[in-house]
Amino acid sequence: MTAFVLTLIGAALACGLEMLEALAIVLAVGSTRSWRDAVLGAVGAVVLLAVVVVAVGPLLLARLPLEALKVVIGTALLLFGLEWLRKGILRLAGRRSLSNSFQEYIEEREALEALEAPAPGEPDWPARIVAGKGVLLEGVEVVLIVAALGAGPDGLTPAVAGAALAVVVVVGVGFALHRPLMRLPESHLKYAVGVVLSSFGVFFLGEWLGTDWPGGDVALLYVAATLLAVSQAAVATLAREPVTA
Amino acid sequence: MRALRKLVLGETVALPVGVAIVLAVGLVLREVGGDWWEDDGGFVLLALVVGVLVAALAPAHRRR
Repeated sequence: MTAFVLTLIGAALACGLEMLEALAIVLAVGSTRSWRDAVLGAVGAVVLLAVVVVAVGPLLLARLPLEALKVVIGTALLLFGLEWLRKGILRLAGRRSLSNSFQEYIEEREALEALEAPAPGEPDWPARIVAGKGVLLEGVEVVLIVAALGAGPDGLTPAVAGAALAVVVVVGVGFALHRPLMRLPESHLKYAVGVVLSSFGVFFLGEWLGTDWPGGDVALLYVAATLLAVSQAAVATLAREPVTA
Repeated sequence: MRALRKLVLGETVALPVGVAIVLAVGLVLREVGGDWWEDDGGFVLLALVVGVLVAALAPAHRRR
């Protein structure tokens, strides 16, 4: 039950935040260039991603031994989690600008406004490419996170359910326009995702390397508590140190 | 290309290198550790991962 709930929360938060970043780019393209080209670019990226997943997924499952695949996925999860956690610590300690999709939206708009608009009736390829690239890169992360969390014992259902929940929420945010982007505590949410993904990474890697975690799934909680305590100590230490460029 | 590299490797080489070391140490200990590894190996992995995180934050400490 602990693993189910944490997988669901981890997948929903991680996928939601990645999709939010993609949404910020698509909104910026749509509002500065054309909604049609923004949607075409985004849909093109989703289709490309789906084709790659459908083509590569079964091939990997058929060719690679399951044990090796599990270690690869556990390692990927740990890498993702630790990267999010490192950035989260630096943001909360004031060593890095806070994560803000609204700011990304503004910056993307400014960059797009500097680009020359196409002739009337012509397709806006720069707009399509910017929207497509944003959705593709964030989408790859979503696929990797869902695949990694779903690879755990009984992990597929909560991982897919969490991602689906994220889709519903992010699409809802998209329909409510960009205002909610300003109010989200993104840096704190990303830090929390870093703790959750890293905990799963350590837990799965331990299981796949033949260790028995005392307490079973409950180990996820004390692994997360340890990472939380260490990272909070790092935030406090870094925040106290004076910064000189 | 830069975006793809950032996506795969992240912003610092300390994390991928550190995680690779954790994996290598884990594989070696699994082979030589026996029952001890089965019972306490998870805590060893956790300690190693905490070490990797601290190492990845070291550049931020030096920039003061």
